[in-house]
Amino acid sequence: MPPRRRGHRGWRLAGGYLLTLAVLVHLNFLLPRLMPGDPVDALLDAQSPSYVQDGAARAELERYYGLDEPLTTQYGRYLADLARGDLGSSIRYGRPVADLVAERLPWTVLLLGSSMLLAAAVGLALGVHSAWRRGSAADRGLLTLFLTVHNLPVFFVGALAVLVFSVELGWTPLGGTRTPFDDPANLLAAAADVGAHLALPAAVLASGLAASYYLTMRATMVGELGADYLVLGRAKGLSERRLKYRYAGRNSLLVVVTWSALRLEGLVTASVLVEVVFAYQGLGGLIFDAVSFRDYPVMQACFLVLTVLVLTANLLADLACGRLDPRTRA
Amino acid sequence: MRVRADPVVVAGAVLTLALVATAALAPAIAPYDPRALGPPLAPPSGAHLLGTNDIGQDIASQVVWGARSAVTVSLGAALVAVVLGVAVGLGSALVGGAADTVAMRVLDVFLAVPQLPLLVLVAALAGPRQANLVVVIGLLRWPDIARQVRSQARSLRQRGWVSAARGFGGGLGHVARHHLLPALGPVVVTLAVTTVAQTLLVEAGLAFLGLADPTAVSWGLMVNRALRFPGIFFIDAWRWWLLPPGLAISLGVLGFMLLGVGLEPYANPRWRRRSP
Repeated sequence: MPPRRRGHRGWRLAGGYLLTLAVLVHLNFLLPRLMPGDPVDALLDAQSPSYVQDGAARAELERYYGLDEPLTTQYGRYLADLARGDLGSSIRYGRPVADLVAERLPWTVLLLGSSMLLAAAVGLALGVHSAWRRGSAADRGLLTLFLTVHNLPVFFVGALAVLVFSVELGWTPLGGTRTPFDDPANLLAAAADVGAHLALPAAVLASGLAASYYLTMRATMVGELGADYLVLGRAKGLSERRLKYRYAGRNSLLVVVTWSALRLEGLVTASVLVEVVFAYQGLGGLIFDAVSFRDYPVMQACFLVLTVLVLTANLLADLACGRLDPRTRA
Repeated sequence: MRVRADPVVVAGAVLTLALVATAALAPAIAPYDPRALGPPLAPPSGAHLLGTNDIGQDIASQVVWGARSAVTVSLGAALVAVVLGVAVGLGSALVGGAADTVAMRVLDVFLAVPQLPLLVLVAALAGPRQANLVVVIGLLRWPDIARQVRSQARSLRQRGWVSAARGFGGGLGHVARHHLLPALGPVVVTLAVTTVAQTLLVEAGLAFLGLADPTAVSWGLMVNRALRFPGIFFIDAWRWWLLPPGLAISLGVLGFMLLGVGLEPYANPRWRRRSP
């Protein structure tokens, strides 16, 4: 294939993602309106457990959905509100959803980012090692361990982790994002507090992802092992270490980067459950509250924001992959 | 398909059969009505094998009945996903052209969406009835299957016997039914088994968030209730209240996963050619 200009590829990729985003924005509009009954029914019905008592909130809800207006008017207003960053008003908190999301989003990004780094470091290193010594006792042990971890329900792992590390050993706080009512003396103390609260949820979230990284890295690298360039490298007298990481490892990394963008969707799903277990004040915690109170505007906003987050990260990974692989460089 | 007594397959089959049998025989096995109230937070004893929860419901009976919702929802959702995935994958491989392109774009959209937030939204809007959960989870799980079926079907299409059938005037439907589906059988079975492992996890996750059928007993909901109990970790109750449903989910998923891993070699076309 002749080399393409990078700018062209970037735009084409971005176009694909914009199309996906457009579909999802419309899905977000249509879903509540396609469902049997409508979302306000449950909230305005005095018999329903999610009956909204507060008159102002009810009026706000009816205004937000505008269900008495024609669909085209609703559609126009939905897009206009979205463009202005107006995501409606929360039924439970009576506050603009955009504000709630803005408060919670940084914590989720922190949790996702730190667990991704942790998972990549552990999973990739062990994957390379396991493939290099495939068939050994260490390889078989690691493979069994990660295959099991890969399929455990993350909220159960989280609960067990709290039990062991917080309750029995007392190493980490029981949950939450920061110590409540605590006024740290300086920035360092504040960071230490945030870190202590972050450590366990990030580790639990990373365990599942590390398993995916490990399994993919191992599978790719095993396929790479018989390659001619390794035979030649060995004949040239290159060190095992150099062959293992700089040659086979680096070549396998390409596949793993492409693939890891696809895994981000699963990581977001797991993060929602982990945040609930650890009462972590990110978007996942917000979704959980929204489910308990049938707070539809909040659920819809969380869905949109997380979708944009995943799509952006996917686009970045796609672009990074183009740079990592010299063959796609112009 | 002849399956050798591979320990992985055997372990997977034993766990899976145990789960399905428990689900089928729930009324006969469970010692109590899972909703009946009794002494709260009773430790395991002769009367209550796994103790009771905060409102005195028998944990052992709840775990047994939980198998029923887990199996119903996960098998149902996997069935929806497999039927849709095979239909779209086969159709798009056979028809090709613009239809194929459109199907693949739709697939990309589905694969990029963070599924849990979408599931939460749909399940909350539609109401978490079991039938709704089956359809919703199934609708989000078909793209993986469609993609794999499509790539397999495309390579099968190039084989001589398919071209021969087309040359003798066999229509697309005839080719799909008589030539592609039988050849794809083992692949589809393996995909279906791994899909059940996934739908089982998704069902548990949704129930954990509180989106479970209010008329059924669900393992995820049991874990949720246990964790919501203030100070659950500081009393002994977690041993009999939190561990059994958590382990039940883990073992159920593990069973289908092992079965899938064990069946994989039999679904691999290269492997199959050597031992017809």
